[in-house]
Amino acid sequence: MLEFSFFGTLGDILAGSGFADFARDPRSLIMIIIACVLLYMGIGKKFEPLLLVPIAFGILMANFPLTGILNPPDGTNVGLFWVFYQGVQYAVYPSIIFLGIGAMTDFGPLIARPSSLLLGAAAQLGIFTAFLLALALGFDPAVAAAIGVIGGADGPTAILTASKLAAKYLPAIAIAAYSYMALIPLIQPPIMKLLTTEEERKVKMEQLRPVSKAEKIIFPIAVAIFVILLIPDTAPLIGMLMLGNLFRECGVTERLSDTAQNNLCNIVTIFLGLSVGCKAQAETFLTVETIKIIFLGLFAFMLSTAGGLLFGKVMYKLSGGKINPLIGSAGVSAVPMAARVSQVEGQKANPSNFLLMHAMGPNVAGVIGSAVAAGFMIKVFQPLVGG
Amino acid sequence: MISVTSALLVALSGMVIVFLMLAVLCGMIVVISKVVAALTKKSESAAPAPTAAPAPAPAAPAPAPGPFGGEVALIDVDEKTAACIMAIVSHETGIPLSELVFKSIKAL
Repeated sequence: MLEFSFFGTLGDILAGSGFADFARDPRSLIMIIIACVLLYMGIGKKFEPLLLVPIAFGILMANFPLTGILNPPDGTNVGLFWVFYQGVQYAVYPSIIFLGIGAMTDFGPLIARPSSLLLGAAAQLGIFTAFLLALALGFDPAVAAAIGVIGGADGPTAILTASKLAAKYLPAIAIAAYSYMALIPLIQPPIMKLLTTEEERKVKMEQLRPVSKAEKIIFPIAVAIFVILLIPDTAPLIGMLMLGNLFRECGVTERLSDTAQNNLCNIVTIFLGLSVGCKAQAETFLTVETIKIIFLGLFAFMLSTAGGLLFGKVMYKLSGGKINPLIGSAGVSAVPMAARVSQVEGQKANPSNFLLMHAMGPNVAGVIGSAVAAGFMIKVFQPLVGG
Repeated sequence: MISVTSALLVALSGMVIVFLMLAVLCGMIVVISKVVAALTKKSESAAPAPTAAPAPAPAAPAPAPGPFGGEVALIDVDEKTAACIMAIVSHETGIPLSELVFKSIKAL
């Protein structure tokens, strides 16, 4: 005979619920509060909402106790988010996002002024200095390398590097990278004003030359061949970036270009955000290391901005005052926000200044530069993590 | 772990490699641009001169005169900037330049 007690059953349900689990380990509750704060920042403050909203919701889902949503396959069942996460684990999502970025990016300003590439290189300074500082703060070399890549201001690159070198710290690194990218209009201007003079900021740059269609088509093919042959670890990022750009420029694959930069990119952004968020669980996220990573990320961003600006000043001198050093700060990737900041600051100094197209050169060069720097770090440190 | 010397070496060589790689790319773009320009010039010179082409059949009437020929009043704006603005407006609106009429461009 079945003996049924209403209050007994109710007690069993409550004892087996997630609410009861909070009493056993309240850290999950803290993570849920953090997720709600991030949702507010994404929705209410519009800080990178397309990424922050899925990341925050991923954090929320991952920290509900007893769901098993992250469980690996056990023969019959598998956690849904475990499946999603494989796309990050094997660098599928960041590479597809790069396909979309390539399809959205006009490399014309870079081709018109190839010296912009050097600004994109100089703005990777933060990656290597943050790497050194992370080592000094006690991180393992591979983790320090992954933290340094936050300074590239390139979310997919930071995620790919972290997934290969520091999977445990992936959520903290991704959240730091995207948060600072959203805060670029606040972080960069004080550094720009500090490192440049009023006279330098006022410089009006000459119109860029028109770039032929043939140049735009040859560019992605040549870059893919050269960069991937030299540093094979850049293949997922550079290969997909250049394929996306070829779709855009070749003139015979409009449908593919449209899909890459819209639907495909949006679909993968959902999975990428959820996958990153779902790894932010209390036991790995609520640590002193997370605070250190957030601090190091800011340091890396600031140093990268300074590197670009200082090299911009060198180019200002070498060009006889024809290059506005403000475009150097756009070398930190974060396309196109960093270029917009250069435009805004340039116009503050001289209302007739239009730096946007000039800053797009270093901006897209920064994407290539950060991918090269990440490829270098992966090449050097992946053997240490057994990859 | 990693020694201080090795860490500094990694950071320095990483920065140098990024610079070298992008500097070589810079050189590659310059070469590609020059080759493309030379080939374009060659193909243009190889093409029959326009005067040798048969006279085109009378077609649609020529578009109405555009904004060129001094019709636009430029106020505190140089010609290059004005041309740039007109091109941007044409591109953004999708209306050919020949169908757009600019009366004046004034710096604010």
